[in-house]
Amino acid sequence: MNNRKNSVFDGILGDNIILSSLMVISPIIICGDSVKNALSLIYAFNSMTFISLIIGSFVPKKIPYTIRIIIYAIISSLVFIPVRWFAVEFYPDSIHRIGIYYPLLAVNSLIVLQSEAKFYRMKKGRMIISLVFYIIGFDLVMLFTGAVREFFAYGTILSKVADINTTVSGLGMPFGGFIFLGLMCGVYRKIRSSVRSTKAESEE
Amino acid sequence: MRKERYIWLDKMITLATLALMAFFYYGTHFLVTAVICVLTALAAEFVSLRLMHKKIDADDLSCTSDALIIALMMPASINYLIAALAVIFGTVVAKNVFGGRQNMVFSPAAAAYIFVLTSWGRDLLMYPAPHVHTGITGKAADLVNSASHTFNMTGKMDYTDFEILMGNFSGPCGAVSILLLTVAAVMLIFRKDISFGAFFGTIIGTAAFAYIMPMINDRTDSVKYSLVTNMVLFAAVFIVSDLRIAPRKWYFAFFYGLFIGIFSYILVLTTAKENAVVIMSVLFTPLALGIRILEKKIRLADDEDEEKPAVEAKEAAV
Amino acid sequence: MFIINDIIALLAANLILTQALGTSTMFIAASGRKNLVRTACVITLFTTVASAFTYFVDVLMPDSVRVYATLICYTLIIGVLYALFLTVLYLFGREKFEAYKKYIHISAFNCAVMGTLFTISERAAADPSLRNTVTYFLNGLEAGVGFIIASLFLAAAFRKLNSEKVPASFRGYPAMLIYLGIISMAVYALK
Repeated sequence: MNNRKNSVFDGILGDNIILSSLMVISPIIICGDSVKNALSLIYAFNSMTFISLIIGSFVPKKIPYTIRIIIYAIISSLVFIPVRWFAVEFYPDSIHRIGIYYPLLAVNSLIVLQSEAKFYRMKKGRMIISLVFYIIGFDLVMLFTGAVREFFAYGTILSKVADINTTVSGLGMPFGGFIFLGLMCGVYRKIRSSVRSTKAESEE
Repeated sequence: MRKERYIWLDKMITLATLALMAFFYYGTHFLVTAVICVLTALAAEFVSLRLMHKKIDADDLSCTSDALIIALMMPASINYLIAALAVIFGTVVAKNVFGGRQNMVFSPAAAAYIFVLTSWGRDLLMYPAPHVHTGITGKAADLVNSASHTFNMTGKMDYTDFEILMGNFSGPCGAVSILLLTVAAVMLIFRKDISFGAFFGTIIGTAAFAYIMPMINDRTDSVKYSLVTNMVLFAAVFIVSDLRIAPRKWYFAFFYGLFIGIFSYILVLTTAKENAVVIMSVLFTPLALGIRILEKKIRLADDEDEEKPAVEAKEAAV
Repeated sequence: MFIINDIIALLAANLILTQALGTSTMFIAASGRKNLVRTACVITLFTTVASAFTYFVDVLMPDSVRVYATLICYTLIIGVLYALFLTVLYLFGREKFEAYKKYIHISAFNCAVMGTLFTISERAAADPSLRNTVTYFLNGLEAGVGFIIASLFLAAAFRKLNSEKVPASFRGYPAMLIYLGIISMAVYALK
């Protein structure tokens, strides 16, 4: 029972798609420099990934692997249409801010490749719960990155000026995203290994 | 290769003389900046080594020479916090994350300089004129462009040779004292503390192209001014020729330095990019690493060839 | 002298260093000489051939549906090329197919490829003089070459970044990201 619980929550800590598997990192590095951008990316990623994966789970496994991958990509490209339409209606600024990374999120490796490797091997119920936690894991990292980078790079939070004397404008640049993400990955690994060794010791 | 602590000692002596000259020109503000940089480096190194569960020894003091190099690359009027952040970046992000001094990838000083250039470019590239002393808490008024900037943009260098040798022109604190830098280069080369191949490669690359494609009409002046501006000499001594980064064999190091010199001169010539040699030294890091891999393979192949006769003799005896 | 300027311009426009596209694929490419050559060639093949076809999509697409239909069209182009390349590879022999198919699998629906197509399309939209097959083809090739250069940068440091001397929590991907970040920072400083 404990093992099954752990693997369902994996998406948040144990197997975070960004910090552990380094998937979908381009939007975070380039666009994840403010909370507003982070929220736009979260909306786009959540809706496209969840809906595409649910629909894709009904694709028969008898179809050859290559054709299935193409079908998953087509499904997510079609899901992109209503997602973008809603964004134009309710968050028009987000489209311009995120640029080409909006359509790129539709064909991210979680949908196209990891679906086969991970989610479609599970039963439907467990797949949905696991998927939700993987998406939450992405959201948390995205929000944290956006908040920290915006605060230190521009001295604002949600475009409101915060009380900070010296800003590090490089943190808002792509190279700042690379370095910040790399440091965050390292810290995440350290925390994960400490938690695992503590758990292993307590089980002994 | 000599022990790191002795190389560090020699470098600190040369850096201390440059710091003394900078103090003479710019006063206590520079001194406080240098002290802050050194203390920050020590603290950052200590914390990093503890987190990595590594023993601290005298060789780890090399972080202070990197910190002093960073301080000497800054304007004398730089904000203390910016200087401290630069040192933390150079020590932690550019060095210790990759395993510290035993697994160097980038020159910490070069990486820190580019970090400041991209994050606080305006603060980095405006300088107080020589003999304008800013107090510990004072802010420098009337900042000017560096002599390198003026030379890059206009081709003019309105300073006498004596002034250039003495460093009596605006620019980074430690990069303008040409005479001291020359003496430092000679001393460090003779004591084998820096790579003479990389040093000569950089100088010859810059000089050759400054002669072939001069920035100004007079070819001799073009060579002269190209070598004394844009931190070429300073970078050639303390960054490009760093034994921890440069290739080990002098001929490989020569070509490594040569390419850096040529590329940075072309960049200065075509885009008037100030201090391009520091940027190029970071971009050429993969080349240095690739050459080191090649050197290791050659060394292993040579060792195998040496062992072959002994192994064959053993087999024959059996 | 102009070659040096071109090299610097190529670096400044590099999709990985400036737009972080295809980073995870590049980590695979940098892990060994074989992987580097094969992944780089396949990515370049995809970006070059797909770019040439996307020209026709951009020219024929009505403006009223452009923002919604572009992605599905590009996906279909890549899908067709994906299936085509695998088929051609299969015809070369079973052994070659088994050895090389994984490179086609990881390269097809890749940020580097899809990002290249959108970037070229954006550039052509901003400057109509770029809207011709040759420019699309050359831009696709340039993106592929940029991927190769960035992979070479990473390959040179691969052993050091995965060395035992690197702290365990930073060994591998985190160190690679920071390394790329510092190189990217130097490229940014060139601008």
